[in-house]
Amino acid sequence: MSFRAFLAKDLREIVRTWRIWVLPGILLFSAVTGPPTARFTKELLSTLSGDMFNPMMPDPTWVDSYAQWTKNLSQLVAFALIIALGSAISGEKRTGTAIMVLTKPLTRAGFVLSKFVSTVVLLVASTVLMMLVTWGVTLIWFPDAPFGPLLAATAAWLLFALLLVAVVLVASAAVDSGAGAAGIGLGFFFLLMLAGIWGPMLRWTPAGMVNAPVALGADVEVDLLWPALTTAALTVVLVWLAVRVFERREL
Amino acid sequence: MNVVETRDLTKLYGDVHALDGVTLTVPEGSVFGFLGPNGAGKTTMLRVLLGLARPTSGGATIFGHDVQSERDAVHARVGFLPDVPGFYPWMTGAEFLRFAGSLFGIPEPTLTERAHALLEMAGLAGNPNPVGGYSRGMKQRLGIAQALINAPDLLVLDEPTSALDPLGRADVLTMIGSLRGRTTVLFSSHLLGDVERICDQVAVLDRGRLVVQGSVAELRRAHGGSTTVRIAVTEGIDRVVAAVAAEPWCVRHAPVVDDGQATDVVVSDLAAARRAVPGIVAGLGVGLRRFDELEASLEEVFVGLVGVNR
Repeated sequence: MSFRAFLAKDLREIVRTWRIWVLPGILLFSAVTGPPTARFTKELLSTLSGDMFNPMMPDPTWVDSYAQWTKNLSQLVAFALIIALGSAISGEKRTGTAIMVLTKPLTRAGFVLSKFVSTVVLLVASTVLMMLVTWGVTLIWFPDAPFGPLLAATAAWLLFALLLVAVVLVASAAVDSGAGAAGIGLGFFFLLMLAGIWGPMLRWTPAGMVNAPVALGADVEVDLLWPALTTAALTVVLVWLAVRVFERREL
Repeated sequence: MNVVETRDLTKLYGDVHALDGVTLTVPEGSVFGFLGPNGAGKTTMLRVLLGLARPTSGGATIFGHDVQSERDAVHARVGFLPDVPGFYPWMTGAEFLRFAGSLFGIPEPTLTERAHALLEMAGLAGNPNPVGGYSRGMKQRLGIAQALINAPDLLVLDEPTSALDPLGRADVLTMIGSLRGRTTVLFSSHLLGDVERICDQVAVLDRGRLVVQGSVAELRRAHGGSTTVRIAVTEGIDRVVAAVAAEPWCVRHAPVVDDGQATDVVVSDLAAARRAVPGIVAGLGVGLRRFDELEASLEEVFVGLVGVNR
């Protein structure tokens, strides 16, 4: 009962504060600017450099449009997600609202899980919605654009994003600074990118998920079984760890 | 029956004893003042009682439930106001009360009725503004209201008046006083006047140690030290003061601000003063208007207990 009440609060907080604008706003920007950017990049470069590069550049396709979307997800949106989430737990501790609610029949596990679930709801809802916008805008210039590669790429990124959410929640439960928690999240992200340089890490661990959306968006076949499984497993472990860390903290 | 019981409660931060073997009891139905100077360990004590911090050793129960292992059972029956209450600034006062009530699973229409009554009591009914725009006093009153949303059997208030102006303090003390007989109140403060005004039981904490616990009247009797008597005469107070000052039981004397023919005298032997004063006054040929024995104030008790070590 108290978990549902707190989750309802967290969801209302998303709608009634800056949170509703940041992630969906960046996703919307990415969705509406990606396809025209892909469509007109060649013309733009021709205008700027004369016809020097024009013969060397292939004509744009839906693959270029989807690549704009997947690159934005993997970088810009991932960074925004990490930064916005840094103070999810530590912010409530700092402002004293955590004490107010945790001296009522709300468990600390419920507190942390509510943060995870509400973030996932925002993330999945806004990403899926903007994926459809991306597809629609892409169809304007590339009517033969298939939906499958876009869906696969977005789904792969969402799975990876859940891992990022779990990492930042652990950090936000452990440290009092929102910026510090975001820094830990960004550090984890860059470590995974670096780990991807080594083949076995790419094949067996979540490092394989970092660039998978770009490949899937280009309709390239990628074996994601183990990266996906290890990402899902690590996400569950990290959410559990966030709960344990927060339960041990004094408020 | 005791609502709160602690046994040798100790909390260490590094080498510092925030709490040092505190054993106390809070009787049911009391308005219990938890007194101590800043840094005495009052807030640490309340945090341990509410499961927000773990004791280094010892234990505590509220309504017989262990505060560490049975937190949910404790929280269900307790209302708490922290020293600086935190609110979601985007919510209105009414929304916050409804949210707080929903965490207790209070069903409709009880929740609506209770939230409305508490907003009325806090003087915030009909205020459509978000809490982010509230003054400190309004937040404190809303804080007390949210602590009452579950009709708690124990209300725990941490320094509820310390940051308020005199009017705000009076409002909050009136609110707390109105709860007497309806719930047990545990009220921490370093403001002696506030505690004296509304508490019937007091515990004094100093440097993590419980110095004394008892009713306010008991503490005054046991720890009030010298007794003060007020002597008021019809005329010639200067001659009366000179004669009284010469007596061996007179410790010191001071004029009464709003009565030019009266003096307060601290006496070391009350019985001797009772016998001597009428004779002194009669011998000087003046009339005795009053001979009052004044109770020691809580401040005198407190300074006597805590100040001696400083």
